[in-house]
Amino acid sequence: MTDSFQNIPVTSFPDITKIEFKSIHKRYLKVLLINVFLVFLVVFPVLFFVDKKGLFELSRNSIWVYLALFLVFIAVLSIKTIGFKKRKYAIREKDVSYKNGVFFRSLTTVPFNRIQHIEIDQGPISRFFGLASLSVFTAGDSSDDLKISGLLKEDAQQIKEFISNKIDV
Amino acid sequence: MYNIEDFSQFRRQSQKGILVIYINILYKVLKAFWFLLFLFIQKFSKIPEGKLVYIYIGVAALLMFFLIRAFLIFKNFQFKIAHNHFILKKGILKKTNTSIPFDRVQNINFKQNIIQQIIDVHEVNIETAGSSKAEISIKALSYKEASALKQAITVLDNNSSATSSIETVEKPLLKVGFFALIKVSLTENHLQSLLLLLAVLVGFFQQINDLLDRLGKQDILDNYITKNTSSLENNVLLIVGFLILLSVTAVLSSLVRVMLRHFNLTVFVKNSALEIYQGLITKKSVILKKDKVQHITISHNPIKKKLGISFITFKQAISGKVKKKKDKIIKIVGCKLIQVSAIKDLLFPDENFDDLAQNFSDSYFRTRLYFRCFLVLIIINIGLYLGFGNSSIFWINSLLIPIFMGAIELSFKKRYYFFNTDVLIVGSGTIETHKTYLPFFKVQNVELKQTLFQAQKNVADIVFQTASGKIKIPCIHIEKAKQIYNYTLFKIETSQKLWM
Repeated sequence: MTDSFQNIPVTSFPDITKIEFKSIHKRYLKVLLINVFLVFLVVFPVLFFVDKKGLFELSRNSIWVYLALFLVFIAVLSIKTIGFKKRKYAIREKDVSYKNGVFFRSLTTVPFNRIQHIEIDQGPISRFFGLASLSVFTAGDSSDDLKISGLLKEDAQQIKEFISNKIDV
Repeated sequence: MYNIEDFSQFRRQSQKGILVIYINILYKVLKAFWFLLFLFIQKFSKIPEGKLVYIYIGVAALLMFFLIRAFLIFKNFQFKIAHNHFILKKGILKKTNTSIPFDRVQNINFKQNIIQQIIDVHEVNIETAGSSKAEISIKALSYKEASALKQAITVLDNNSSATSSIETVEKPLLKVGFFALIKVSLTENHLQSLLLLLAVLVGFFQQINDLLDRLGKQDILDNYITKNTSSLENNVLLIVGFLILLSVTAVLSSLVRVMLRHFNLTVFVKNSALEIYQGLITKKSVILKKDKVQHITISHNPIKKKLGISFITFKQAISGKVKKKKDKIIKIVGCKLIQVSAIKDLLFPDENFDDLAQNFSDSYFRTRLYFRCFLVLIIINIGLYLGFGNSSIFWINSLLIPIFMGAIELSFKKRYYFFNTDVLIVGSGTIETHKTYLPFFKVQNVELKQTLFQAQKNVADIVFQTASGKIKIPCIHIEKAKQIYNYTLFKIETSQKLWM
């Protein structure tokens, strides 16, 4: 039994790197950017308030703090934009994969026969653009194992249907 | 009253259960409100006679209320077995009806705390991997009833192996006697025991502090502490004494911890399941089904290795957001080499791990460890400098750096992996040595992780998510990582075996 593994040519296994990954929907970039805007829309007034009230005595350096925050804002925007292109998913006969990340790349694959349940959810902004995200859960303590955001609502529904059928068989 | 073997009708637990439930409630109430009792005793003399009567009546009424509550809990707690399901009705006002199919049952554990030992009943816990709501605890059954219930659930589950389960008094696979247990506890990780003890003491200290605060006597404790610490600073002898005391406490606390948990540890092998009995004050018996074990880790440290003993940790599937993860980790200590291989044979029959070469992580792993340690060192230095405000404190680095370097080299050397057709084996550890056995088909999902730096070096981390936690092989060559990734997926997707 032990030796048999050495004899199997590894190339005969289905190769994850050979499959075509699909990009998520372009409109999702807008959702991401709007989310960033919303966060900073809250942070800037808070900073302004702190500055005016003189809470942390940063009036002398306030211009630098504003500048730093602005730089962070630009950086987050550009990282999201670059990272957006890296968000890809693939669905094969027996598993679903998702990869993302620029600095921290990751590729996750969940086999269908380990899936416990599937969820589709829509945030308010995603709903406006007709997008949805699909989460797949397996056993264990990890809260959600694989989440594909920015799918068209119909696509998400279809994938869910497809996987559900596979699980039940 | 009931036929012991007959679980087809709804039945209640043993009537002694009322007492167990009652004491359980009282214990919980006392634990939550013990400072009220303390206050009461403090102020006892100041309370006028007339009011005292009301207080007595109030306490009596409360005790009565709890007794009635215990009785009602007992009255409404009914269970039966039907159609390969365990069915439970409970609840006084809010009725719940739980039904668990046998194949979802992970464990049937017996437990006995002191009270249950005195009145001679057993607590039966039925564990599932599903939601934590489905965990069932029957507080009081006689030993006969308990084992009949266990038999009913396990035998019906495993019809195939039922025939071979002719009741014979088997020889235990492992029995750790008193002296062997002392040997085990003396070679424990004492630092860990000390930290555990400290955590308990800090909690206790805070509670006392709270209490004194309420009484307006905060100063006493503060004074006491400052007086003691100032004398500490002046006296080297005291510091040495303190260190000796600390190490003695550490050893003693591991001794007590091991004794409490593992006293009279006995392991049997029955119907491809392990039966584990252990505990001093609270006796526990656990049945570990072979299929439910997700992965095992065999560990030892240098001293234990000299003595030829190691401990085995069994990890089972844990459900969603369970707080008490600890309960699902079962540890047996003091295993000799023969017993370790017997357990390995039981869990992974027909597997041969002997002549497989170990694969090690890329040297980038060491670089990363050094880099992380460097960051930690900087933080420690800044913290110490801010704390003491004295630059001579940096001399501590001459002690820290060699320790860190030694630890890094050790953990790099002990990181390895190898696998045969079905099982992946991952080694890890710094001073202790751990060896984890993970069958490929128990993996839930796989992840390949790579930072930009790793991408430059062509290495990646591979993370196996199982139902009982993550197992990681850090920094292996990307091509190898992809091969393992593909192979794992292939194994999971073609596997017909149940992972649980």
